[in-house]
Amino acid sequence: MVNWSRIKGILVQEYYITKRSLEVLVDLPLFSFIGLILFGFITNFLSISNKTNEPKYLLLGLILWEVIRITQYSMSVEAMWNVWSRNLSNMFVSPLTIWDYFIAQMISSVSKTIIIVLVISVISYFMFSFNLLSVGMLNLLIYFINLTIFAWTTGILILGFIFRFGTRIQSLAWGIIFLFQPLTAAAFPLSVLPKPLQTFALIFPPTYIFEASRQSLNNGSTNWGYVNTAFILNVFYFIIAIVVFYFLFKKSKDTGQFARNEG
Amino acid sequence: MKNILEVRNLVKNYGSYTAVDDISFDVPKGKVIGFLGPNGAGKTTTIQVLLGITLANGGSIKYFGKDFFKNREDCLQRINYISSFNSLLGRISVYENLIVFANLYSIEKPKKKIQELVEYFEIESLLNKRYFDISSGQRTRVNLIKSLLNGPELILMDEPTASLDPDIADKLLTLIENLRKTKNLSILYTSHDMAEVTRICDEVIFLDKGKIIAKDTPLGLTKRISKAQLKITFDADKNKVEKYLKNEKLNFKFQTKNSVIIDSKEDLIPKLIFTLSKEGVWMTDIEIKKPTLEDFFLQVARKKYG
Repeated sequence: MVNWSRIKGILVQEYYITKRSLEVLVDLPLFSFIGLILFGFITNFLSISNKTNEPKYLLLGLILWEVIRITQYSMSVEAMWNVWSRNLSNMFVSPLTIWDYFIAQMISSVSKTIIIVLVISVISYFMFSFNLLSVGMLNLLIYFINLTIFAWTTGILILGFIFRFGTRIQSLAWGIIFLFQPLTAAAFPLSVLPKPLQTFALIFPPTYIFEASRQSLNNGSTNWGYVNTAFILNVFYFIIAIVVFYFLFKKSKDTGQFARNEG
Repeated sequence: MKNILEVRNLVKNYGSYTAVDDISFDVPKGKVIGFLGPNGAGKTTTIQVLLGITLANGGSIKYFGKDFFKNREDCLQRINYISSFNSLLGRISVYENLIVFANLYSIEKPKKKIQELVEYFEIESLLNKRYFDISSGQRTRVNLIKSLLNGPELILMDEPTASLDPDIADKLLTLIENLRKTKNLSILYTSHDMAEVTRICDEVIFLDKGKIIAKDTPLGLTKRISKAQLKITFDADKNKVEKYLKNEKLNFKFQTKNSVIIDSKEDLIPKLIFTLSKEGVWMTDIEIKKPTLEDFFLQVARKKYG
């Protein structure tokens, strides 16, 4: 059963860690800001010779990509702080349930994402004349939700691997998500990818969302075919992630790894 | 007597290795039960299974009469855990850590509860320090506060004094003794330190290779070792004493020509002293070394028991 006080406990812990960890402040807002500046100037440069919306795909892709990166990072790395401090088993010998933990991580990750994406969107508007809202308010919401579900899915999977294998696979927590940036054609049209990779890219929900967002940027439309496909794939992968997580969690407790999952 | 914890036929295997082998025991209300055994005996694994962070392969665990596997949250809400092998989050302050756990245990007035415990354990000055920056003795006190936040009826303590210097360990044991008296706490206590187990435990469960090999009071366990050592300093002819001891077929060793150490069954010592005296041996000093829990532990560890 889910309990609000326990969720609040994890949220409060997350707040304290964020407040006191320079690493988190560098990995989240600073990296987002640096990425925005880099992509912003490249967009400006490309816009000199290309008067279409295409150069703006870079900024659009970057800002939407940050939704995935920040959400997934937040979900996975918070667990690592507890592993490094040998506090993870302390938390799970309290009545905390895995769903309390998931829900808290989901709320925390989305909160951070909203704040950072809002800030870089405003900066992008004033510095690079790129208005994220030009894809449409409703579209933006739909894209945000889909990308967030995908980030939660990867976050839950990585959590499962952290619980199962501990610090041995810690670099997955912040590294593996970047595989998806080129694979899902975040900042360029899908057609740019080689044919076999295009087919492969279509198994990932964000590919549809990034494609749909570029269409929205061009003409304000909503590609419901892409949105629906992305949503169905997201639900499917989310369920798979939960099943895999439970398998890894059970295995971790069965082998004694979870109790040893320290430092 | 009402049992807080009832464990029946608990089994934990790691592949072909059996870490916990069909053990059963109870922890009654208000009692301190010691869990002793050599390294690898299965003490920590048992505690981990009792807390649900390691899965059992068989058996049942009941807290307050409720099946733990079916009522995990209810049971964990009423118990707590402290171990020298775990820490709280190092980056955040002591107070922040305690607030987090107060929420995890759904404490109604967390600030008030923390304040009460902080005053009791006299750690007001540590509250705003990062957990990382305080000493191991201070951390143990903070961990103990964490373990009392929910007003538990049972605390599982896994070697809480390991890595503490003797003075701090003694203070911690005094605190545990006081808590037990004032709050009628039940405690399951694992340790390698025989003196502290003898001091605070009502009953000791001895584990070896995952099995319970003895269950008794600390005194009862030491009584299972019948041999004691008698050291006599005498003012008499050494040959006379030696002849007598050889006749009685006792193990002995002369330390000097006027002092001898004799191994004997504890209940035969009075007779031995009396007979030596009757033989005209003038004893100037008598020292009896009774078996301790440590002797029992060593016997088990060296596989001499039974």
